[in-house]
Amino acid sequence: MIQHAAPTHRSNFCSARLILLCCLATLYLQATQITEAAIDFEKDIQPILEENCWHCHGEDEQESGLRLDKRAMMLRGGDYGLPTLVPGHPEKSYLIEVVEHRDPDMAMPTDGDKLPEQQIELLRQWITDGAQWPGQMNDKIAYTAEEVPWSFQPVACPSVPDEHEQNPIDAFLLRKLRQKSLHFSKPANPATLIRRASIVLTGLPPTPEDVLSFQKSCETDADGAYITLIEQLLESPHFGERWAQHWLDVIRWAETNGSESNMYRKNAWIYRDYVIRAFNEDKPYNEFLTEQIAGDVVGHGDATGFLVSGPHVPVATVGQEPSARRQARADRMDEILQTVGASALGVTIGCARCHNHKFDPITIRDYYSLSAVFQDVEFGSRYPELDERHPRREAAQKLNKEIAKQRYRLRDAGTWQEDWAGYGEIHFPSATTNAVRITFLSRYIGLDELEIFGLHDLQDNVASSESGATVIAAPGMEVLRNELWKVNDGEYGTERWAARVPQGEKGNPWLEFQFTKPTEIDRIRLSTNRENFFDTDYLTDLKPFNFPKYRIETQTADGTWQTVAESEKNSQLNKKFSFRQDALQKLQRLIAQFNTEGPRPSFVGRFKTPGPTHVFHRGSPENPRDEVAPAAPLVLVGDLQLDSNASGQARREAFADWLTGPTNPLPARVMVNRMWHHVFGQGIVTTTGDFGFAGAKPTHPELLDWLASEFTEPTIMASAHSVRPWSVKHILRLLVTSRAFTQESKPDEEALSIDGTSSLLWRFPPRRLEAEVIRDAILVASDSLRPELGGPSYRIHNVKKRYAQWQVLDNYSEETWRRMIYQERMRRVDDCMFTAFDFPDCGQVRAKRPVSTTPLQALNLMNSPFVMSQSKLIAERSLENTDNNLPAALDRCFELLLARQPTADEKAAVQSITNPKDLFLVCRAILNSNAFTFLE
Amino acid sequence: MNNAEHLLPQGRHFLDRRSFLKTAGLSTSSLALLQMLQGDGLLAETVRTAGGKEPIRPKIDPNDPYAARQPHFTMPAKQVLVIYCPGAVSHVDTFDYKPALEKFHGKKPPGIPDVTFEGPTGNIAKPFWKFRPRGETGKMVSDLLPNLAKQTDELCFVHSLHTESSAHPQGENFMNTGFTMEGFPSFGAWTTYALGTENENLPAFVAINDPRGLARSGKNNFGNGFLPAAFQGTDFSATSPPKNLGRPEQLTGKDDATTRDIIQRLNAHHLEQYPGDADLAGRIASYELAGRMQMSIPDVMNLAGESAATLASYGVEGGSELRGSYAQNCILARRLLERGVRVVQLFNGSDPSGGNGITNWDSHQNILKTHAMQAEIMDQPTAALLADLRERGMLDHTLVVWATEFGRMPFLQANGTGRDHNPDAFTCFLTGAGVKRATSYGTSDEFGFKAAENPASVYDFNATLLHLMGLDHERLTFYHNGLERRLTNVHGHVLRDLIA
Repeated sequence: MIQHAAPTHRSNFCSARLILLCCLATLYLQATQITEAAIDFEKDIQPILEENCWHCHGEDEQESGLRLDKRAMMLRGGDYGLPTLVPGHPEKSYLIEVVEHRDPDMAMPTDGDKLPEQQIELLRQWITDGAQWPGQMNDKIAYTAEEVPWSFQPVACPSVPDEHEQNPIDAFLLRKLRQKSLHFSKPANPATLIRRASIVLTGLPPTPEDVLSFQKSCETDADGAYITLIEQLLESPHFGERWAQHWLDVIRWAETNGSESNMYRKNAWIYRDYVIRAFNEDKPYNEFLTEQIAGDVVGHGDATGFLVSGPHVPVATVGQEPSARRQARADRMDEILQTVGASALGVTIGCARCHNHKFDPITIRDYYSLSAVFQDVEFGSRYPELDERHPRREAAQKLNKEIAKQRYRLRDAGTWQEDWAGYGEIHFPSATTNAVRITFLSRYIGLDELEIFGLHDLQDNVASSESGATVIAAPGMEVLRNELWKVNDGEYGTERWAARVPQGEKGNPWLEFQFTKPTEIDRIRLSTNRENFFDTDYLTDLKPFNFPKYRIETQTADGTWQTVAESEKNSQLNKKFSFRQDALQKLQRLIAQFNTEGPRPSFVGRFKTPGPTHVFHRGSPENPRDEVAPAAPLVLVGDLQLDSNASGQARREAFADWLTGPTNPLPARVMVNRMWHHVFGQGIVTTTGDFGFAGAKPTHPELLDWLASEFTEPTIMASAHSVRPWSVKHILRLLVTSRAFTQESKPDEEALSIDGTSSLLWRFPPRRLEAEVIRDAILVASDSLRPELGGPSYRIHNVKKRYAQWQVLDNYSEETWRRMIYQERMRRVDDCMFTAFDFPDCGQVRAKRPVSTTPLQALNLMNSPFVMSQSKLIAERSLENTDNNLPAALDRCFELLLARQPTADEKAAVQSITNPKDLFLVCRAILNSNAFTFLE
Repeated sequence: MNNAEHLLPQGRHFLDRRSFLKTAGLSTSSLALLQMLQGDGLLAETVRTAGGKEPIRPKIDPNDPYAARQPHFTMPAKQVLVIYCPGAVSHVDTFDYKPALEKFHGKKPPGIPDVTFEGPTGNIAKPFWKFRPRGETGKMVSDLLPNLAKQTDELCFVHSLHTESSAHPQGENFMNTGFTMEGFPSFGAWTTYALGTENENLPAFVAINDPRGLARSGKNNFGNGFLPAAFQGTDFSATSPPKNLGRPEQLTGKDDATTRDIIQRLNAHHLEQYPGDADLAGRIASYELAGRMQMSIPDVMNLAGESAATLASYGVEGGSELRGSYAQNCILARRLLERGVRVVQLFNGSDPSGGNGITNWDSHQNILKTHAMQAEIMDQPTAALLADLRERGMLDHTLVVWATEFGRMPFLQANGTGRDHNPDAFTCFLTGAGVKRATSYGTSDEFGFKAAENPASVYDFNATLLHLMGLDHERLTFYHNGLERRLTNVHGHVLRDLIA
């Protein structure tokens, strides 16, 4: 039904990719130099291996995926990923470790005695000498073809079957249908079609007026009308809201941490808005991925919410044991890897955390190399890097100028302090010094962080331990919480250092910071729990920062201390100079304005300096082994040419380049399949998050590759729509203009007997609507849906205590009349309405939602305050639209909810309603009906 | 065989109830129709499982996901009651008698770490309650739980449990879902996924939360995780019905009937265009089920018919207000089980929003007071519930599990009044169908600090619970995101020594 340009032949595009097949999967280990062998392999070593090892790790059996009868396989190691042999290094060779019985759980041979020490020594010597193995010294390890899943192979460029179909998609489908003696169903009627296309593309049903006008246009030019409709839907700002929803599901994005306190993640929603914007702008998918991984480098700081989309346990609830903290960090890294694996790669990376992947060629080394890529990421907030023209940056620029003006007024008349809500700042005349001492004129002090800056570099905190500064405290203090290093470790939050002067003693607490060299400073920033203001919100116990009284001294060159600021003196000055009061008032107003209009700390991850990464043997952070460089999986040519000295940004940038680069066929395949899944209800690969051996094989492999190829190198109508590579809208346009999409959904007994699942698409498979579509469609019907895009989520929950559960207070009144993608998305909280409709709990990656039917759905959709109030609004609207003519109003209820006229049977079903006040019962009934909740 | 031909998350077609029963499990084409609730719909023969065992997929009728299903093998237990005590009950003050604690009281023998979960450690403390020999076996149980102590001969203790996390929410998750992380299906969800239920007029899996609120892991303790929503625990208690159960106040019964009549007509008409569509028929059936639940749930919640003697034995009156509420929940648990509900999970404690030790068993400070307070609430009603079930003969087919997430330390915290979390040794008990009486399985070391003889992981414990329900924990799987997921991950051995 749509005019497509003839597909061009694409062999030239593909040749470059085919070459890559040759590079694929060559894990190459160089043969060691043959040295003078003191040990004779055949005489000394082989008998030991043969007698003790080969029974379980030989030709017939490979326990733990390990073979000890081939040198190359020993170099590669078994499932635990440790090389059995490291020639020249017995201390690094797992073989020696297990025969020495160092770990009682991993002592070899398993049955039978420990090898005699003399034999172990022979093995050691053999390895020291280079593990000479006649005839096998040049053997390389490479994955065999059977070890690499189909999806890791380069995208092929199948030619379109000659089926005389305008849309290549139909040609591929039809060929398969014909093989089964099936054919497409007849085209769906315009009313069905507009509802289907609108819901699939925008998540919203059409209004009755949209339907009428479409039906009318179809009378003269059905094809043209449909193409126009599709273009309108693709351009609708609601398109992005719909497709963002799917993306957020996959990465289980939510606005709370999960776990015990399940705290709200402040301003995390800016990431949700980024995703909506990206889909609306049709941001090329490769850029979309890159920005989410390295958005901080390219001016899209809001995009990195992706990296921290999974749940995490805040440090306060991990406990005090260092091993528990290491485990928690490893768990956080695992969440990041799961996010990347499931969304972009369609590979279950997490399976390789403790041992090599059971099914796919992903090793434990790959896992930790990949975790090295993200080693600078931590769960928390930062000021996101924004484009220069971003309104918040513009506001900040303007306000900063105003703030500077007021500070300039104050600077000549002493010192002053500023309250930034989450922290305080003390300003004093610039001084160059080796040391600063801050005395708190109180008996108690608690600080999570104290930072010192100079006028010329407001980013560089010279007090941080990272910059080399050291800190000491007044002797004899009674420490109440944590050790002193917490005050300059760069970490905000509940882990504060707190101390007091012991009872009965005199004095004040003080802190002294020593710099490594004379340093120019002019302000100190301090806080007790900045996390409360940076990371979270909606807690009853968010206490504001209280300034203690203080005295600040710097050390002069001769070692004496000179007072540079005193809180008492500030107060006196303020009394003395009225202009100071004026300036301070203005300053505080500007700060308040800055905090609302300027860049705000947002839960889109924060970054720290990455250290070296080690393989954790059997997944345990208590058992670090080889250091690994940041890299992507080797089987996908993932060497990033980096080492542990690489910066975090360099690591993530290089990874993003690899991810979207030519050696990696997965992102394109996975994304086109995901689009297919959301359009037709079931992917070409039904396991949309797993393209490995444990996943399903594609129903139409050639079609999948054709789409993947068309995604990255568009050919069809590309110039007409000025389509760029990796255009999501381009692929969706092709899908929804296919005959497969535009055909009827009615069953056919004969076809069902051949293809009961409709997976060959002889009809458009009907399906139940998701939670969001049901809610949004009800609001559309009552004309209550507020159309504005983005912004903070609408709240349905209480303001809670830190360790309490969220409770739903109001999920139905006017404040909530926005699209459900804007509903606060809390991990594992029942929203008392749509959780029953398989709305995910955001705990685990959800590549696709299950569809289940439960009586709780019925109860919610029958009796909830939301449905009751909306039914009344729809009834009122129907009456209003029809001048209170009841029969017309009855029809109108159907039009508003089903986007079509009622049939004669449906009219008959509501004949019993004779009183306008009962009209809402009709609305209540229709929105509970199958016709409303199914996509036909 | 092209495995996608068996997949149908949508457009599932052509099966009325009769033809379902006729064809179930008999041919590949009918297998295709059973996919509704089976993850991404991979069939056993096409899936490589990590453990090597072939998954046993419950044959779920899409029209009737709660229909009773056969277990993998026959065991006495048909139903299960889990009594869960959030906050961590001190094993060394209740069921795990350690004379060495008396001997070392006030001392700090070598081997005690400097820091545990909440911070610096103090000295060994003897049990805060006196232990006495109980029943015919003379097993030592403390005075903290005098009523449960009287039933010692009926119980099967596991003293050698150890877990993977010393934090409550992760510990709760691990005990109830088999993973410390969130988002995995709970034991109750797995069990109802496998077995359906005996009474479809009530939810298959009921979570009775504490009157003080949800436990720290909230809904995750009884959630469906990635299993279909049909298998989540339905959350209600003796005093608070499920959300949206009742007819809205502004509606009359006639209004409700009118609505239902219209829905029924609309759906009947719609179904004519999609004859035999399983999804549509399933939805119609779910409305009928919801209607029946609107009658049966208020009925089961109504304790008016319970005798004064019953109310008294459970301790509804005469104790703290919290004990009274918990006692009512205990009676509700029995009533649910009587009516054939497959899984009842009864909570004795909530999240700590009310303060340390006031809302659950957590006792970092003043364990003497906090444990006593929790025990007053838990002991009599729980003991009465067990006795009641026994007297009614219900323990012949009901498994009872009493569990907590970990134990407490044999030594005090530096504050000198509380015990910190102990993930390395704790005690839970079982009783009822299929379980040995008067049995103690495994031991902790002489201080109760770490599991000693026959250490039992939570995986082992959960494997055993499934086994007692007639389910093979290695074969009860669901494909999710690349793996055949299990309650026991890739671990777990059935503790055969405690099976009768």
